Amino acid sequence: MTSTSNSLEHRFKNQRDAFWGGVREGAAAPAMVLFAGMVGFGAMGKTNGLDIWFTTFTSFFMFALPGQVVLLEMVITGSAAIAIALAVTLTATRFITMTVTLFPQLHSKHRNRSLYTSVHLLAMTAWAISMREFPRIESEHRKSYFIGLGLLCWMISIPGTILGYYLAGMVPTPVTLGLIFINPLFFLLTFTEVKPWINRIGICLGCIFGPLFYSLNKDSSLLVTGLVAGTIAYYIDRKILRKRPGLIG
Amino acid sequence: MMHQALTGWSLWLALLGACVGTYLCRAVGVSLSSRINQDSEIFRWLAAVTYAMVAALTVRLIFLPIGLLATVPAWIRIAICVLSIAVMLSKPTRRLVPALLTGTLLMVSYGLML
Repeated sequence: MTSTSNSLEHRFKNQRDAFWGGVREGAAAPAMVLFAGMVGFGAMGKTNGLDIWFTTFTSFFMFALPGQVVLLEMVITGSAAIAIALAVTLTATRFITMTVTLFPQLHSKHRNRSLYTSVHLLAMTAWAISMREFPRIESEHRKSYFIGLGLLCWMISIPGTILGYYLAGMVPTPVTLGLIFINPLFFLLTFTEVKPWINRIGICLGCIFGPLFYSLNKDSSLLVTGLVAGTIAYYIDRKILRKRPGLIG
Repeated sequence: MMHQALTGWSLWLALLGACVGTYLCRAVGVSLSSRINQDSEIFRWLAAVTYAMVAALTVRLIFLPIGLLATVPAWIRIAICVLSIAVMLSKPTRRLVPALLTGTLLMVSYGLML
């Protein structure tokens, strides 16, 4: 149950308006970023000798670019199927906490079984934008907004992958560089828009611990970094920041 | 050491495993989220954990890249990130698209200079 909706001005008139609001927000930058990333992924599939179906199915059914890259890498190097499934699942563990931090913000009437379908649309791009925008949207319109945003991102990733597959080898190297760089750059830039200090500390510590744990164990590094850095950030917030309300914001 | 790329049914088995594993994480998230209140302590902790994970992934993609991006010297990658963030923060309102264009075009320009 949330009571935050009372204090908000009405940004969207109805569910339909909220849905299209999400689509518009997606079209502004996230969908383009994801499209570029998927073009890069499609090209990667082609240059490594995978067929078009395999490459496209990956985007359609996984819809998680970092995991897709891990899958491709491991397929190319001939890892066992079970090892691939485990490594990919480990990189996907972020979806657990991404969902857990996003969906409780939905209106209680939308928090039902249908979310098991909607959750497939959740990827880092849509998550980052939703986390930023949800506080400014009435809770009953958040789900429609998320669906609009996520659906556009998902839909665009399929033609992106196919296009990348057929353009592979024809695209000059400088353009390919731009295509693969735009995704991490987008995430980096959205971090500057994160407001709560607890999350800002989490991001900073994640940047420091990430490479450290990566050098120890590649597969589990994201999960371990998240738990260690996130817990430290939480304690800093709880023991220091919350006791001095005048200190920051 | 040379490896043989996966082919045939084991290739599709790997894809199936990857898809199931990825969806399972999303589904576990939905199932857990129904029991979590957005004003609770655990929610605050999990948000910090998630941002840290996403930050670690971003840093990995930029600073420990594989493939083509690894051919760009690290200091160039860092300089481009710094410049893009500067564009992003140069105005209090949203400058996401100009900042993205700055970074991407700089990266393309670097590629052209090679």
